[in-house]
Amino acid sequence: MRLLRSALIVFGKEIREEARRKESFLASFFFSFISIVLFHFSLDLTGADLSREGSGLLWLIILFAGSLFTGNSFRKEEENGTFQALLLAVSDSGAIFLGKYLANLAFMTSLGFFLLFLSGALLNMPVWNALLPLAFVFTLVNAGYSSLATMISALLSKEKGSALLYPLVLYPLLVPLFMAAAALTGTAMASGPLLGSPWLRLLVLFDILFFVACMLLFEYAAEE
Amino acid sequence: MAEKIRKCAVAATLSAALLNAAALAAVFFYAPVEASMGEAQKIFYYHVPCAIAAYGLLLLSFVMSIAFLSTGQKEYDEWAFSGVETGMVMIACVLVSGATWGRSAWGKWWVWEPRLTSFLILFMTYLSYLLIRALGTGDPRTPKISAVVSIVAFLNVPLVNRAIAWWGSAVHPARIGLEPPMKHTLLLSSFAVALMAASLLLWRVFSARKAEGTEEGNP
Repeated sequence: MRLLRSALIVFGKEIREEARRKESFLASFFFSFISIVLFHFSLDLTGADLSREGSGLLWLIILFAGSLFTGNSFRKEEENGTFQALLLAVSDSGAIFLGKYLANLAFMTSLGFFLLFLSGALLNMPVWNALLPLAFVFTLVNAGYSSLATMISALLSKEKGSALLYPLVLYPLLVPLFMAAAALTGTAMASGPLLGSPWLRLLVLFDILFFVACMLLFEYAAEE
Repeated sequence: MAEKIRKCAVAATLSAALLNAAALAAVFFYAPVEASMGEAQKIFYYHVPCAIAAYGLLLLSFVMSIAFLSTGQKEYDEWAFSGVETGMVMIACVLVSGATWGRSAWGKWWVWEPRLTSFLILFMTYLSYLLIRALGTGDPRTPKISAVVSIVAFLNVPLVNRAIAWWGSAVHPARIGLEPPMKHTLLLSSFAVALMAASLLLWRVFSARKAEGTEEGNP
């Protein structure tokens, strides 16, 4: 209970800080917007099966735009010299992980919905009739993404060239998650059944496995 | 300790050389030629053992990384690092032999087949581990960071194992039916590759110990 309370304090701090500074948030959303526009000009999607090709594009944008935000979640603490203060204030490193994880999850979810709206409006992707299943898939995928993104961000924040290393370490680990994400998003857009899909099992397994592992390993990632 | 590792490495290397000679003889003169794929199928006798050896080495690295994080003893980190390096050699062998086999059997260098693709993902994942080690040379945090990455990366391995069931496969059959001479040859080549991997691992650990001893002025 104390862990959850401390985690919510960290989560609140993250949201307030981002609402004040807006830099990572705006950068990610602008990147998503420009990517959708560039995809429109660089790929001829006329006649393409948008539920298949479109879902892959969507997750590619989320992967890149999401890392702009999540990669910064511990780097900014290091740059501002506030990580030690955070450790002292909260005392439990698990609460810091959980708070940052929830903040990243909230951001990724809002980015997902923003992209769904943009892809529906600008690329005519069939998202409007499948909003509920898509929300289900996005939440599960973002839960897995946020676990690893938060942990890797903490792990590399003190490293030289952490901005360079972050995507190189994170992306290969996310490949199974994004394969499942693209497949399930395509199924949802085509109004296919999600439950019982092997991809859904893979996604749930990934979420549980990496949330538990990251929670356990975070204290080593946060150590000086 | 370094001397003991060197002796084990020499013994493993000699045994691996003998066993590999026997395995190669079995592959070319004892195992029958497979009816549909022809001579190209013989790659199988080294392709599969390399995959098994890669899993074994990554498992070793995973266990040693946990031991390192729990105890902080540098020896465990050396084993974990050497395990990943040797495992990467084995993964590279799997990818190259898989591509060569694919070229001979299906006319393409690369087929996006789930198990081979999963090995490619593992290769990329552990490449990031090696990148962290290379960029963080001398940094006291690097062993800890790479231990965490090794543990997280190994959690991808069960996904590799289950990949064929979840993603389906058009190339690899789920179960392989083998004639007894084929089974014997596979068993022999598996031992040969396992010993070869073990000798590589031991030489790598020995060289790490030696370098450490030289740094401490204790050659």
